[in-house]
Amino acid sequence: MRPQIVLRYVGFVLLFNALFMFVSSMLSAFYSDTAFFPLLYGAMISALFGVFPMIFVPSTTTISNKEGLFIVIVSWLLSCLAGLMPYVLWGGEFTLANAWFESVSGFTTTGSTILTDVEAVPRGLLFWRAATHWIGGSGIIIFVLSVLPSMGQAGMMLYRTEMSPVAMENFKYRTRKALQVLMVVYVGLTALETVSLLICGMDLFDAVTHAFATIATGGFSTKNLSIAYYNSVAIEIVTMVFMVLSGIHFALLFMAISGASADLFRSSVVRYYLAALLIGTLVTMLDIHGSPYESWGDALRYASFQILSLGTSTGFATADTSLWPPLATLLLIFFTLQCACAGSTSGGIKVDRIVFFWKAMGKRIKGVQHPRAVITPKMDNVPISDDVLEMNLLYIVLYLAVVFISSVLLSSLGVDCLSAFTGSAATMGNVGPGFGMVGSMSNFSSIPDAGKYVLTADMLLGRLEIFGLIIFFMSKSWK
Amino acid sequence: MGLRIKILSGFLILTMMLLIAGVWSIYELRTIGSSAQALLDDNYRSIDAGKMMLEALEREDSAVLLLLSGKWDQGRPIIQSADISFQQGLQIARDNVTIPGEHDYIQALDKQYAAYKKLWLKPIVGTKYEGNLRWYFEEIHKAFLELKDTIQKLITLNHQTMYKTASELKNRAHRSTMPGIVAILSALIFTLIFNYFINFYMVSPIIRITKGVHRVMETGEAFDVAIETKDELFDLTDSIRKLAARIRSGEKLS
Repeated sequence: MRPQIVLRYVGFVLLFNALFMFVSSMLSAFYSDTAFFPLLYGAMISALFGVFPMIFVPSTTTISNKEGLFIVIVSWLLSCLAGLMPYVLWGGEFTLANAWFESVSGFTTTGSTILTDVEAVPRGLLFWRAATHWIGGSGIIIFVLSVLPSMGQAGMMLYRTEMSPVAMENFKYRTRKALQVLMVVYVGLTALETVSLLICGMDLFDAVTHAFATIATGGFSTKNLSIAYYNSVAIEIVTMVFMVLSGIHFALLFMAISGASADLFRSSVVRYYLAALLIGTLVTMLDIHGSPYESWGDALRYASFQILSLGTSTGFATADTSLWPPLATLLLIFFTLQCACAGSTSGGIKVDRIVFFWKAMGKRIKGVQHPRAVITPKMDNVPISDDVLEMNLLYIVLYLAVVFISSVLLSSLGVDCLSAFTGSAATMGNVGPGFGMVGSMSNFSSIPDAGKYVLTADMLLGRLEIFGLIIFFMSKSWK
Repeated sequence: MGLRIKILSGFLILTMMLLIAGVWSIYELRTIGSSAQALLDDNYRSIDAGKMMLEALEREDSAVLLLLSGKWDQGRPIIQSADISFQQGLQIARDNVTIPGEHDYIQALDKQYAAYKKLWLKPIVGTKYEGNLRWYFEEIHKAFLELKDTIQKLITLNHQTMYKTASELKNRAHRSTMPGIVAILSALIFTLIFNYFINFYMVSPIIRITKGVHRVMETGEAFDVAIETKDELFDLTDSIRKLAARIRSGEKLS
């Protein structure tokens, strides 16, 4: 391990953060708000820390897998630290714990907030808040591309199964081309959504910030009522379309845009993902029709938005789901745990692992029926080894265990059970809102400071796929 | 990049961190001073003027009651001095319009006071109005309450703005101290990194070069120290390598 090489590459990430902070400070100056100096100073400190390793450390092209993992994880942690600077410097509701929570929530594209009055925050700072989502989203792409494949067969399998042979090769060798492909999709989707929202009547500032939050499946809004503020079906439809698209593997999206749209629907993961969202929407619509929504139109409108929002780990809201009946609530909790596809910016257990889970179940049942049979489950004609199935089942169990432990910790701090469990699940899945006191129309400000640190640990664990962070903190990895 | 620039860059960055934090803190502190002055000038003066008008109005009301009870000698001087006080208060408030909405209240006060004054300016003692409590409650007291209500609203508006300015002052005080704290923490972390780089890229190579030279002198082996940076240490290593090679070839020749 060469710490100096890690520092050099982390420097690039800090410079990227500094650039966005600087743009935010310029916006702050344009709107003559009070966040100009906090953002500018944050940008300067980040830039100075970013530039310094480049002066000392000579460039190198050979980076080991372990160094790659460290670069990504240290970048994430330092980005969160640098990201809290403008919040802490500005003050207001941002105590140290709150600023850390907001920063981690932004970079991990969770979208949970501690702000009781979002609209009181200056626009420059709101832009920075949305930018943390977008930067975090691009970080996920790099993480998925360069680090996860180095974490063994299971990590690689998760991404390989739904790729065409061409993309798979790119992916396997982590070429510059693969990174370009994913970044083109990421930037393209952001630009397309911004224009669509502008056409629907949003102003430019809101359109850009909401596009940042949607494509990164984040969920930070510039309004207290989130998307409900606009009360516009057109804006909701545009947001839903881009939320669903952002939940699909970006390389598959690129192939679909490049003319191989059949590949998109050939993927069993994508088929499951879309079918789950559709069924979830229909069942929720049936459940909420009558109470609280009188008309079928309203029931469909609110059910689809909330299911798609949580099912893609975005976290925008158009309704107070805390008032919904139990079945709809349970469905939303299920989607909070499951989320969308691997290879996208979404969090959660991920649809791919759920599909693996069903494959493992099928194998076990067939094994009981035919004890002598050799059963090799396949996904899109790719055989899945026992190691991969075991690793995925282990991940799901570990994921739920972390949610449970986190819920217990929150409960011990005096948070009620529903809020503790759904808050933990929502932060672990990088979704955003939970239920109870952390519902879709409220925030995390009432959680004790210690609880906020627990939840930020959940966000980082969820974002870095649990094992990434565990490996990072193991002393053996540092040698 | 040369060693001098590398070391200088470290110190420059440290200086910049502290300097920018210092400049910003001074700016915020100066703004706190002007905001506190503005708080006194803009809001407190208007609140004072409002209180002055309220007090004058109460005295006018008492004087009107004296006139109603036929005590012209006692009532008239009180009402005249109270009128002067009210006009003074109104003038102070008129000259100190600093908050959005304040101007509307001043205009309303102008109108309402003119209407109120018109009522008590007419002769009361020895006329049909003397002892006429119904007239008092239906007209004078009603105008008095309206006027009082408007003054209260003007005071409340200034109180609210004062509270808002005080909160902003609190935020500014926070913003004047935080850069210092952030700068100190950043400088500490930066010093650690700087120290690590100095050790890794300067001290450690010098030790390796020294050991390499000793090895050459003691064993006559080739000088095999590798330096990855392209700076003076790299040049030094290269020169020593050439020197060692020349010495070895000289020894062989002799």
